[in-house]
Amino acid sequence: MSIAKPQGTTGEYFEKMGITPELCRSIMSTALQHGGDNCDLYFQHSASTSVQLTDGKVSQASTSLDLGMGVRVIQGDQVGYSYSEDLSPSALHNAAQVAAQIASHQQNKTVAVPNKYNIPNYYPVSQPWDEVTMAHRVELLRKWEKMAFDMDNRVKRVDVYVQDGASVVMLVRADGRMTEDWRPSTLGYIQCTVEENGVRESNSYNVAARAGLEYYTEDRQTRLVKEAVHRAIFQLSAISPPAGEMPVVLAAGPSAILLHEAIGHGLEADFNRKNISIFSSKMNQQIANSHVTIVDDGTIENSRGAVNIDDEGNDSQRTVLVENGILRSYLHDSISAKHFQVAPTGSGRRQSFRHTPIPRMRATIMENGPHSPEEIIASVKHGIYCSSFANGQVNIGGGDFAFYVKQGYLIEDGKLTQPIKDVNVIGNGPDALSKMDMIGNDLVIDEGGWTCGKDGQGVPVSQGMPTVRVSSLTIGGMG
Amino acid sequence: MQHTITSEFLADTANSIMKLAQSLGAEEVSVQISHSVSTELTQRAGIIEKSQQSNSLGVGIELLVDGRFSGHSASDIRLESLQPFIQRAIDATRYLEVDKNRMLPDISIMGSASADIQAYDSAIEHRTAEQRSASLQELETTCLTLSADAPVRSITTHVWDSYENSQVCASNGFTAGWKRSGFGAGAEITMVDANDRLPEAYDYRSTRYLEDVPSAHTLASSILEKGSSRLRSRNIPSAKLPILIENRVAGKLIGMILSAMQGNNIYENRSFLVGKRGQSMASSALQIESNPLVPRGLASKPFDNDGLPSTIMPLVQDGVLQCYFLNVYNARRLQDTPTTGSAGNIIIPPTNTTPQYILESLPKVISVEGFLGGNSNTVTGDFSFGITGRYFENGKCVQSVSEMNISGNIFDILAKFETACSDVWTYSNYRLPSLLFTDVQCSGV
Repeated sequence: MSIAKPQGTTGEYFEKMGITPELCRSIMSTALQHGGDNCDLYFQHSASTSVQLTDGKVSQASTSLDLGMGVRVIQGDQVGYSYSEDLSPSALHNAAQVAAQIASHQQNKTVAVPNKYNIPNYYPVSQPWDEVTMAHRVELLRKWEKMAFDMDNRVKRVDVYVQDGASVVMLVRADGRMTEDWRPSTLGYIQCTVEENGVRESNSYNVAARAGLEYYTEDRQTRLVKEAVHRAIFQLSAISPPAGEMPVVLAAGPSAILLHEAIGHGLEADFNRKNISIFSSKMNQQIANSHVTIVDDGTIENSRGAVNIDDEGNDSQRTVLVENGILRSYLHDSISAKHFQVAPTGSGRRQSFRHTPIPRMRATIMENGPHSPEEIIASVKHGIYCSSFANGQVNIGGGDFAFYVKQGYLIEDGKLTQPIKDVNVIGNGPDALSKMDMIGNDLVIDEGGWTCGKDGQGVPVSQGMPTVRVSSLTIGGMG
Repeated sequence: MQHTITSEFLADTANSIMKLAQSLGAEEVSVQISHSVSTELTQRAGIIEKSQQSNSLGVGIELLVDGRFSGHSASDIRLESLQPFIQRAIDATRYLEVDKNRMLPDISIMGSASADIQAYDSAIEHRTAEQRSASLQELETTCLTLSADAPVRSITTHVWDSYENSQVCASNGFTAGWKRSGFGAGAEITMVDANDRLPEAYDYRSTRYLEDVPSAHTLASSILEKGSSRLRSRNIPSAKLPILIENRVAGKLIGMILSAMQGNNIYENRSFLVGKRGQSMASSALQIESNPLVPRGLASKPFDNDGLPSTIMPLVQDGVLQCYFLNVYNARRLQDTPTTGSAGNIIIPPTNTTPQYILESLPKVISVEGFLGGNSNTVTGDFSFGITGRYFENGKCVQSVSEMNISGNIFDILAKFETACSDVWTYSNYRLPSLLFTDVQCSGV
């Protein structure tokens, strides 16, 4: 089940449900009846499908359909929010009445006539999911399962699923800006369980994008399956690394979880507006090696973190956060942008109409540096090389972060030796930034289905980086 | 607060949806419909920063069509909207393969527990905006008063409450429903430390009854103590040390066991507990029970997701694994007897030993008061978690700890379980006391 891309002009999709520009204006007038600086309406209609192969059978499927509107009233740094799953005018006005309670002034604010804005398209799709049959999805899963079993006879079990969906969102603001976006998505996942000499291990790989069926090229399908099989077999011979502080080399691509946890969250402007991020007092200061440039980019075509507009209706953009080691910008929503008197960076995002937008990352990327990956590995006498990851977390104010390394290698005398697995790596954001002393020239944007959690909301994100050496982090190994 | 949607309306709607699905070709149908209302207020620096209210209606539908299974959810429950949705769902289900283990349970084993779980406090019906604002104001004022001399950068306070009414209807004749309420309060504190660090701490308390929410003074004292304990933290040398895991975070470790007990992990041979039922898996001091019938317990419920009546279930007795979590589907796949697919309140019986006594009686011990990241391997039981807390020597806190990990294998650490303490945390599904383990690998400097 999916939603086809609307073919009409901005607003026509929801107008067929009775949501006219005039009604939107009327709802916002209700929302601003007690005053307030601004107000927005966020309409969303989304559908998704997930089909799973397990036990050798494609015998599980699920679909969901969601429709609703969130109304937000902003007064200074204060937010009143409510939502309705009922799009009747009376229900929408009721939601607006609830959100209006945050404001305390009695004067009405003028609501501008909605003006339709056209937006760019960073997620072109040639085979949309609404045109893909269930039979085709089943065929895809069967193919991946067979590929995995054919790849290695140690593979004993394969579980596969493919998810896809699409949302139509419409933003209408009291300042008159009216935008509409169609957001496709897909995620392909495979988990392999392998067995050798009575030892069982399991591991997985996934790929995700804002794309249609065309995303699953033959190359990508092969890589998806190959990676899952390889990662499961890798586990069989991997050990827990030694514990303690040591140099860490982060492989190009998924290692950007370090960027996301150690730096990205701390640069979200809501934390800095409240002065509770460890980066709050660091603007325009040198916070990293001069080879370090970090951007957060919502415009990378078809990436999972791409947004044509953010969830406040602001333009998406490529935001330079750290330039040659100097902190240049936070990630702003409209509230923090007003607080800091800068333009929004298109970073106000939300999980759905049930949530308020807050500053979030999109695709967080460290740009290339001057070193080759080979010379970076060769420079380490005793340390670890981290190549795949499961999850991470950060304490915003203290700056402490952690990420879980699913796989990697020991580095001994400049060479990758013993495979390692399942270890938590921990450090402090600014400290780790200052210890990034070699930056590779092999940037990879990871294709995995990362989801970032904050304030109870999950949003899709992307990340990427070249190979990087951090001179010291704490490894949670054994002995 | 809107409680105008009655149980009768929800049950009738569920029944109509079930009949609609049957008329469109489904042979077995289970429908769960829920109405929820929630309010949350957040305050910082004397003003309400966020006021959020939600009023939500949703339906979950499980279908069996020609022996094929699928599950669906929707937020628009109008029959005219659901009809094409369900029709498409049924059509899509026909492309799947037959799974003979998918069918509704026999009606004879379904039902609701008769125990009074006290899940619903009618105080939710009378909760006003003024009361919430007053609670929030009192909490913030108390926090600011108690922390007046502390190096505090920011305090954010929250109060929330919620209401949910769920009704279930299945084509085998099973119908049931229940209501629950929720209340809570909490705060986050950010301290000012050396080297521009701003360590933070939190304390949130959720309850079923309004009268069980702790006083503003209790919460404010707790949050200030937790914030102060994060000052001047650093890692200490790697060593094998006893660790006392604080009650409110002990669920992180126990959750590893529960995950490995899940029927799908057992069936798929992806659990370190495969083949361990009836065998010793931990120190004989360890007792764990799933109890979904605790009055006012946050994980209490009259029936599980299959419609089986809730029952108390010993999970680990004297260190011996007693059972797996087997819902009806996984039990059929394993040719076993269903227990339940979902845990109730997880309980480890308290003892008379206080955490303070343990910290004072051991020459060296880390009090683990928070986790940061980390994960575990359900197949092997290997784990590695970041920790924060305090390091004690002979009863004296000598270092606030951060940037450290604990690592090992679940069987090793469970064998080193020494004792539970007296201080049961009741504000979570995990109603656990603080837990002492010996000789755990702690990695730092």
